[in-house]
Amino acid sequence: MNISPDEIRAEVRKFWEFFSRKSKAQFAEMYLPSATVFAVDARRMELARLMLVRRERELFGPASSVNAKFGPIDVQLLGTDLAVASYPFHLSITRALPGGKSYQAEVPSGRATQVFQRNEKGVLRILHEHTSSAEPVTVKELPAR
Amino acid sequence: MENLSPEDVRRGVRRFWDIFSGKLTDKIEAMYSPTAIAFSGRAKRSEPAKLIAVRRSRRLQGSVSSSTVDEGSIDVQIVGANVAIAAYTYTYHTDRVRADGTKVQLETLFGRATQIFQRDDSGVLRIVHEHLSATANPEVEKATG
Repeated sequence: MNISPDEIRAEVRKFWEFFSRKSKAQFAEMYLPSATVFAVDARRMELARLMLVRRERELFGPASSVNAKFGPIDVQLLGTDLAVASYPFHLSITRALPGGKSYQAEVPSGRATQVFQRNEKGVLRILHEHTSSAEPVTVKELPAR
Repeated sequence: MENLSPEDVRRGVRRFWDIFSGKLTDKIEAMYSPTAIAFSGRAKRSEPAKLIAVRRSRRLQGSVSSSTVDEGSIDVQIVGANVAIAAYTYTYHTDRVRADGTKVQLETLFGRATQIFQRDDSGVLRIVHEHLSATANPEVEKATG
């Protein structure tokens, strides 16, 4: 069955919903095992599974939070089982580090490219992701509780 | 038509930067599919790649005195007979002389690129999606409380 733009938009909405709700397992399942990622603040590309370990440690704990809003999603269909979603987003993150410090990060003008591929079970998964910011990311250390 | 190989895609990436940096005089517009979408350096939203290419062409026709680019290793994922994702980091430096004679230096130290290539009906490899970004260390505001 061919991919439709609406299916991709639904996947993007799920992605941000799982991220904001800190649904670790469902969030991790969005990626193919071989997926690669350019995170907003990373100098290099990494395997999604490494990014997931870091996000789980820093963002999915009880003292952390993620709030996201995204804009209109452009979808390019590149075949029967491949599509690219691109859209702007705004991200606000409270990151609690294991040492006890907490930081508030704002990504005011985020930009996302996500390449989705339908796997052999017919499920759409992210194959490659590139997120960036058009403006500098601001980070504020929060007072200790 | 033979299947796409990683080396075909790496050649496409190198050709893109050779045109971008003025080493080749070919038109950069020809690198893109007519329906390509791109996120350029600091744009908040994606745009039709043709518009970005026209702006780049105008800049290239200006008086660039020297321009160097260094792509890191180019990771290529072949995702079907005709589609591939190239992802890599790069540094870019250019010295430009404006019409009024002022010199401008532009430097991208931590550039990151995702370019999705697709072979068109005539067998030519073209970019269908591009996301160029750069990272900088975020400014951290210390807690005062």
